[in-house]
Amino acid sequence: MLHNDPEKVPLFRKWSHWYWLILAFLCLLIVLFYLFTKRFS
Amino acid sequence: MNFSPLDWTVLIGTLTIIIIYGVYRSRTSKNLDGYFLGDRQMPWYVVLLSVMGTQASAITFLTAPGQAYTDGMRFVQYYFGLPIAMIIICVSFVPIYRRLKCYTAYEYLETRFDAKTRAFTAFLFLVSRALSTGISIMAPSLVLHSMLGWDLAVTNTFMGGLVIIYTIAGGSKAVAYTQTLQFIIIYTGMFLAGYWALSHLPEGVGLSDALHISGKSGKANVITTGVTENGFDWKDRYNIFSGIIGGLFLGLSYFGADQSQVGRYLTARTEKESKLGLIMNGFLKVPLQFGIMLIGLLVFAFYQYHQQPAFFNLAQEEKVKNSMYASEYASATEKYEQLQKEKQQTVASLTEALERKDQAAIESLGAQLKTQESATKEMRLQIRSIVQKAIPNEDVNDNNYIFLRFVGDFLPNGLVGLIIAIIFLASWGSIAAAINSLSSSTMVDFHIKFARKKLTPLQEYRWSKLYTFFWAIVCIITAQYADNIGNSLIEAVNILGSLFYGPILGIFLVAFYLKWIKGHSVFIGALLAEAVVLTVYFMDIISFLWLNVIGAAAVVLFGMTIQVFMPKEQKA
Repeated sequence: MLHNDPEKVPLFRKWSHWYWLILAFLCLLIVLFYLFTKRFS
Repeated sequence: MNFSPLDWTVLIGTLTIIIIYGVYRSRTSKNLDGYFLGDRQMPWYVVLLSVMGTQASAITFLTAPGQAYTDGMRFVQYYFGLPIAMIIICVSFVPIYRRLKCYTAYEYLETRFDAKTRAFTAFLFLVSRALSTGISIMAPSLVLHSMLGWDLAVTNTFMGGLVIIYTIAGGSKAVAYTQTLQFIIIYTGMFLAGYWALSHLPEGVGLSDALHISGKSGKANVITTGVTENGFDWKDRYNIFSGIIGGLFLGLSYFGADQSQVGRYLTARTEKESKLGLIMNGFLKVPLQFGIMLIGLLVFAFYQYHQQPAFFNLAQEEKVKNSMYASEYASATEKYEQLQKEKQQTVASLTEALERKDQAAIESLGAQLKTQESATKEMRLQIRSIVQKAIPNEDVNDNNYIFLRFVGDFLPNGLVGLIIAIIFLASWGSIAAAINSLSSSTMVDFHIKFARKKLTPLQEYRWSKLYTFFWAIVCIITAQYADNIGNSLIEAVNILGSLFYGPILGIFLVAFYLKWIKGHSVFIGALLAEAVVLTVYFMDIISFLWLNVIGAAAVVLFGMTIQVFMPKEQKA
């Protein structure tokens, strides 16, 4: 049984906000990994 | 490797719990919706754990710590394209699959192109997924066979056979719920192993010191560029560029066009829950992989204070000791042990320097440690070449044995059993999803599509169970034969995927984004692209991650060109 998809996006108004958040998080991880590499190498 | 009665109890107990839980969760409607999509009732967090459980096989947990131990942390970059792939899939793939109420990804290709493109793509999926699942069964079995002396055929049968019980009984629903429980057990066990390594470092040596010691030996290289004095090295496997671009294409193909993953997020209650599961995967995958690799780094640090084996594969070591190369091996390992003692002294001095925060000493001892680590690597290669001479027909790469050797030599009874259970569970998670998806594609893309007589829902349900059993047997048989080739096949799983994923992704990219290209053009384009990928692979001029990009780009380019030059009457 396929439910009707409620359009309400969790937490944000649009899905695009989630997508920007993922990209920002990925950038943050890359910066943190770069600092990790610099610090311990 | 000692496997005590307590370990047996933990192993059998954990596996039994999973099987019982799988069977308990197996009540579904007796039709295709129930069997392949769990009645589309899964909440987003079950979708998330199911997607993650499908991707992370036993090889992930065996290889990643060993990879960090030998090559450092740079393998993490392989996953950088994944979060971006999740976004594209949420925007373009999920809404269409949901709107068309697809059972398989390939159904959409018939709607968009024609029956032959759908059948061709589904066929590529069936071949590549069946082969790689066979290898996924064999690879961890081979490691357990070497380290615990278990019979390989029996281990293969248990690895691939027990999972059949709940996969046949409950289809996608049982697969998803067992993957949830498996995920919790796997990460708990891995965390305990990492914690154990950390807590058994010498007194006064903490996490920061362990990371400094590993880092000074060149292992903390999470970010690398692949740029050398001669420019960008296209054969360098893991760097930030191949990770983001190659990883993006691999992620798009794997999560967007491989039924073993598509079948997971189509089980969600709503489109919103499918998307949320994938988005959370985008957030969690990279940090979790970093965590697994960090365990390898801690194991490396641990071995800087303890006797480090010269060669980690116990079964192969035994064969060398009983061969005509035994004395050569003994002399090489003696030199290796001497080198380790010198290295341990440097590590002890470096630990003191770190405590004193003596920057000059840290710099000089760090440089010394790096030189000694290079010598250690060189020595390990020499030892490996002696092993190769003694057993010329076997793969002597022992990276996949590093973590398990550490587990067997140092971890307490009970925890050893739990780690072995984790290897089974991780295997089951990916095998269950694979045979479920092989069955769904066979049933929906071939049986129902080409059957002369329309089946009742109950008949479809029974045939689906039969196909699940059939594919499980095919995969176990593949595993039994794959053993003859050796553990280089572990790497072959990734390479095999990259040979097919690019063209499959290319077909889907044309389907979603280039509406003016029709079925004939994309079909011929995909055949040509597959030929290009195979040619580039056999020329050995580029790292395998780039094959995904080449394959997808080739389908798009060939498809566009053929569509432009195709006679008018064939363009539709």
